[in-house]
Amino acid sequence: MSQTPRPAARWLSIGTYILISIIGLAAFLYPFWLPAIEPSGISGHAQDAPVMTLLLIGLCLIAIFLDAQANGLTTKTIALLGVLVAINSVLRFIEVTIPGPGGFTPIFFLIILCGYVFGARFGFLMGALTLLVSGLITGGVGPWLPYQMFTAGWMGLSAGWLAALMAERKRRTTDDGRPILPSSVVRRPSSWPLLPLILFGALWGFLYGLIINIWFWPFATGPAAQYWQPGIGLAQTLQRYAVFYLATSAGWDVFGAIGNAVLMLLFGLPTLRTLLRFKGRFTFNYRPVQVVSGSAQLSEA
Amino acid sequence: MRSTAWLMWLGACAGVLWTTRNPLYLVLALLCIEWVRASLVQRTSPSVLARSSISPARLVVFMVPLSALLNAVWTRAGDTVLFRLPSWLPLIGGAITLEAVVFGALNGLVLAGFITAFSVLNRALPVRALVNLIPRAFHSLAVIVSIALTYVPFTLRQAQAIREAQLIRGHALRRVRDWLPLFMPLLAGGLERALQLAEAITARGFANPGRGNLRLEALALVGLLLAGLGWLVRLLVPAFSGWGWAGLLVGMGLTGWSIWRLGKRIPRTHYRLEKWTLKDGLVIGAAVLAVVGLHVPLFNRASLFYDPYPVLTLPLFDPLIGACILCLAVPAILLMGDSPE
Repeated sequence: MSQTPRPAARWLSIGTYILISIIGLAAFLYPFWLPAIEPSGISGHAQDAPVMTLLLIGLCLIAIFLDAQANGLTTKTIALLGVLVAINSVLRFIEVTIPGPGGFTPIFFLIILCGYVFGARFGFLMGALTLLVSGLITGGVGPWLPYQMFTAGWMGLSAGWLAALMAERKRRTTDDGRPILPSSVVRRPSSWPLLPLILFGALWGFLYGLIINIWFWPFATGPAAQYWQPGIGLAQTLQRYAVFYLATSAGWDVFGAIGNAVLMLLFGLPTLRTLLRFKGRFTFNYRPVQVVSGSAQLSEA
Repeated sequence: MRSTAWLMWLGACAGVLWTTRNPLYLVLALLCIEWVRASLVQRTSPSVLARSSISPARLVVFMVPLSALLNAVWTRAGDTVLFRLPSWLPLIGGAITLEAVVFGALNGLVLAGFITAFSVLNRALPVRALVNLIPRAFHSLAVIVSIALTYVPFTLRQAQAIREAQLIRGHALRRVRDWLPLFMPLLAGGLERALQLAEAITARGFANPGRGNLRLEALALVGLLLAGLGWLVRLLVPAFSGWGWAGLLVGMGLTGWSIWRLGKRIPRTHYRLEKWTLKDGLVIGAAVLAVVGLHVPLFNRASLFYDPYPVLTLPLFDPLIGACILCLAVPAILLMGDSPE
């Protein structure tokens, strides 16, 4: 979907993704590793730590948007993203008006499938922009929005990686040259990825809640067995977070996970086929006319 | 009022709510925010979409008692025991203290304040003003957001039309599976429209500017790296907290400057320019005063910090700090002069 970038631009893009992954992970997960390094360090900054982390997450979003905009967008993908984000925002609007059970939301289904079909970068933009636009129309703009955008972006990004992983597995052959997967599966690319996608959707139903909780968990108060305190070790932090998650969010997220899996099971295949059908039409592109020894040649990318 | 003025006001609200846990100051701030919200509700008509959102006043009434209750049930700190829950109850059994109730209520107040302040922003600024806030460097992303926002009402109408067509054919929505004949035409139709839209915007000469100045983009990345390092230093090495702040500010400044420079090459035209008015200046001045006032050493800054544990005490109150917090109500006073839409 993207044009071939210059080597310097390619390295810049790789650097951006590495740096953002490191900073983003550090910003989300710092309560887990901080106590192991410097137990006394956090207490003095308990007040401003959420502001700092929010600013950092905002900067990461800015950097990733800058790169995605420069590398992956043509007029066709801009229009495609705009319309798909609108459809997904309508799904969220319906969900806000008629709330589903627990953490069920219909928007993750389309984010995952778009990331799977159109690639990781497109998936990130789809996830992040869906949360932004639906936040704007449902009045959901708040300090939580950058975290939601980042997490939904990761969901779409990882769906793109899942597609790459599965394509690689399909290409792999045994030592004597035979494909690992049965030929019927290789011939029908649109039908076989459903099971991994169902599992992937269910997994993200839990992961979304697990990641989003972290932004407020270090600053929340409650029973000592469930909440973070400066100075506790990594093992205890993990243990407390697990107890907190099981006590407060796991039941909620079960509905999200089941909802994603059910939507993927019922709507996954027809949606995947439709998106794949349109993918060719959206990635089709003309290159400028090249003049070769006096004759014009029109090439197609 | 300009979107910049509203953003500054929102920043001041967040700054006040983040800085203090004194219930007197928190209630004062919340009353100011609620007054602004109420003035806006009287004078503006929200979009159909915004009207369906939950009322912040209801959130406040719900959130403060809930937060107080949860904290009281979970926390065992505090000396004033109100009553005891049987110890055989897992996790919640034990003494319920007045201090825990107050601490929970304070957390609820802060949360309610944030949500109300953001709901004011959502109400005060039309969606197009929020889209206008996207920096010029993110030109293509702003186009995507604009397309999406334009297509949302259209997609809703389309969904309604498909639903009515399916109803005429005898198709009712009873189970989850029944939504498929509604969703698929909506998706396929949307994708077809996206193709037409792409052709239309290409024909009108729109093109993604692509990668611009590599140096500036690299500089933005360096800024991000500096900000990340500053954040780490601030968290991990309190002795070098000043260096951490410096790294964070320089990094953010560098990234902001690079983005501003990148945006300079993209022309932006305005159908109607927002004009600076005296009201904007007053709101911005009041917002700055509200935040700066809390950090003036001459005022009784100790009154900002309040901890109900271990025994509940009366909070201190400095009228000067109270006056600074009252500045948050300036938009409400200015709105009084406006006629309803």
